[in-house]
Amino acid sequence: MEVKNGKIRKVCDTYDAGGMSRRSFLKKMTALGVTALIANAVSLSPLGAAKAFAAITGPEERAWELAKVAAAKATRKTLTLLIPTGSIGNMTPYVDKWKNELGITLEFIEEPDEVVHTKGMQEAVAKTGRYDVMMPTAMSYPDWIDSGVIYDLTDWTEKHQPDLFDKQWGVVFPASHHAQLYNGRVAGLLNDGDQITLLCRGDYLSDPAKAKAFEDKYGYKLAVPKTWKEYFTLAQFMHDPAKGFYGSLEYRSPYYVKWMFMQRLVSKGRLYFDQDVNPTFNSEEGVAALEDMLAMNPYLHPDAFNFTWSSNYNAFGRGEGFMNIVWPSGFKYSMNPATGPATAGKIAPTVMPADTTKDGTLLYAGMFCWGYGYAVSKYSANPELAYAYAQWMTSPTISADAIPYLGGYSDPYRVNHMLEPTKRLVDTYTLPYLKTLYENIVNTVPDFCVPGGFEYQDALDKQVHACMTGEKKPKEALEAAAHAFERITRRIGKDKVKKSWLALTKNLAEPIKKASGADKWS
Amino acid sequence: MLTRKLSPLQMAIMAAALAVVLFPVFWILMTSIKPPTDWNASPAIWVPTKPTLVNFKTLFDPDALREYGVGGVSQSATKAVLGSLLASLVATALSVAIGLLAAIGISRYGNGSKATPLIILSGRMFPPAAIAVPFVIIFSSIGLTDSYVGLIAIYVAATLPFSTWMLKSFVDDLPREIEEAAMIDGLSRLRAHLTVTIPLIRGGLFATTMFIFILNWSEFMFALVLAYSNISTIPVQLAKYVTATAGTLYGVQAALAVLAMVPLVIVGYLIQSHLARGMTFGAIKQ
Repeated sequence: MEVKNGKIRKVCDTYDAGGMSRRSFLKKMTALGVTALIANAVSLSPLGAAKAFAAITGPEERAWELAKVAAAKATRKTLTLLIPTGSIGNMTPYVDKWKNELGITLEFIEEPDEVVHTKGMQEAVAKTGRYDVMMPTAMSYPDWIDSGVIYDLTDWTEKHQPDLFDKQWGVVFPASHHAQLYNGRVAGLLNDGDQITLLCRGDYLSDPAKAKAFEDKYGYKLAVPKTWKEYFTLAQFMHDPAKGFYGSLEYRSPYYVKWMFMQRLVSKGRLYFDQDVNPTFNSEEGVAALEDMLAMNPYLHPDAFNFTWSSNYNAFGRGEGFMNIVWPSGFKYSMNPATGPATAGKIAPTVMPADTTKDGTLLYAGMFCWGYGYAVSKYSANPELAYAYAQWMTSPTISADAIPYLGGYSDPYRVNHMLEPTKRLVDTYTLPYLKTLYENIVNTVPDFCVPGGFEYQDALDKQVHACMTGEKKPKEALEAAAHAFERITRRIGKDKVKKSWLALTKNLAEPIKKASGADKWS
Repeated sequence: MLTRKLSPLQMAIMAAALAVVLFPVFWILMTSIKPPTDWNASPAIWVPTKPTLVNFKTLFDPDALREYGVGGVSQSATKAVLGSLLASLVATALSVAIGLLAAIGISRYGNGSKATPLIILSGRMFPPAAIAVPFVIIFSSIGLTDSYVGLIAIYVAATLPFSTWMLKSFVDDLPREIEEAAMIDGLSRLRAHLTVTIPLIRGGLFATTMFIFILNWSEFMFALVLAYSNISTIPVQLAKYVTATAGTLYGVQAALAVLAMVPLVIVGYLIQSHLARGMTFGAIKQ
């Protein structure tokens, strides 16, 4: 019996290490006398714990059945994907399976990530039919649906059940709604949990000398910050520019800086618009958010005004700061000795800090920003096959397998990725960070996932950046952004933006909904 | 040629100017031979202590960087380099040839109206971003997107105003009496232009060719919107060196930039005497 158990363990380890396909795993386990059901449970449950999990394979199997039928009917045996450069690593492991078992060649057209939205809009007018599956961020869906370049996937999702909203393995709420729906209809299937979380240097937090000095000075224990105020205090305390060590690596660079503002704004209980899509960030909460950011500037890394995500991750990995606000990929960077030589094994992750609302309650609000997903091109020769690919890749099981592969942007986004992770997910992200991701994502607010979203965010970004560089005062910058917003809304059509905004805010986390007053919007 | 010794101050100014001009080239060269660990080093590493050719190798073998733990590079630059060479060479040849014919026609025979040169130039009055999408729509309806024929056609259309105007100025500055003398000696108009006009504006022709080639070689916008998977060019490929595991691959980008400089440096060196003449040709109006 012991010999058999040893063999089972060995097969499990090989599978967990990615050295065996799921099909081979199931065959081997069956050969060892373990039923397929138990094998599934073992393979997919956390660290081999015995939890029955057979139903989780449903979306994958339904997608595969659809793919087989669609592939047999397809006249064109190539499925072409428009993807952002740098994301291919999560998809290439399945190329052979699609070729060998379905006869479908997966062709990837890589474009710089900032160009993908434009390429989609270009396809809307050019109608070349060159793409079957397109991989935009959630913010592209409104413009792409309205321009008719992608399908509304709702009918397919109702028929083939990708389990998008399942409590145990669906996409975590509210990202399930913000990053996949447009006006309540499914526009794309999320494949990337792009939320931002806070990383601290655990080794500094556990340093007894620092802990004592901190407690003596501030009167409370040194720990990861729970509020923006504590975040500021920690940055001040740890800031040591003489040693090239800075309080935080928070972004002040164009394009990224708006997100730093948006998360602070929302954690003060303000959204970007009111229920009539009038801008609301030019309020006292908005000004306070900018003032908080200005106060942080002296404790930031000197490159904060120029950071891109990669230069930011690299600077943190070199040990040049105490805190960093990162996407999940930033955590992977800082845990990898190659990219995080000074941070590997020394990270204490936490949810984004809270702020105090007018009634004195703490409000946690992070950002779900960017977030790639699969959309199906209206001009695809094989749209059903394209949809099947999207459902298959984002199914609870295949996505859990795909995310840990190196060389892709995909990060955890389904409940099972975070709360019932496979060993490979745990090896990649660690259990504490997966738990942090779950606790953070439930309080996230979306990007401008409304028509004209890219224009709104650019207008806000420009003004927030102008304020951070001292070119404009906070109120002046926010008023300028508000004027730009009003112009954009007028041009796009107030009713259209409003309908989308109300659909978006209907699905906010309850505390944010209540604090912002969105719970009373009709 | 006038020669005189520069004063120390002039030397210093000259050295400072050279430093400003050559610094980006130096930085690109150094980055191209840095290992990934040095790309983003802080403080910056000016000259790598362990120079490597791995960035150049990655251009043609996308897995080469794996030895440094960098994966996710999926495309070889071969297609982009060949694509740039093909599109730039053919488009430059066509643009200069058509531009030369137009220049002679306008300058010597007053073809079209006086507004003809302005009408030709009007094509350049629109920013490329404004006309790129209309081009894509038209080209997709006639099957020219994602093809070198389409890319070359756009490059010719975009550079023809420059080649026409530049060459026209050179032809204008050549006294027409020289051609007339050749015709009196029995040469046909065509023969006179082939044996007299063109050789005499050779410097201008080289300068124009070089200028048009640089425009085509470094063009980004049209290549980006027209390219799907069949065609690629160096500027578009440069923007694609981003991976999830290492962010922007500065070393590989620098290696490709160095490679992109080579043809320009070689051609510039070979025709430098003509270039100097071409740049000053017509400087003094008669």
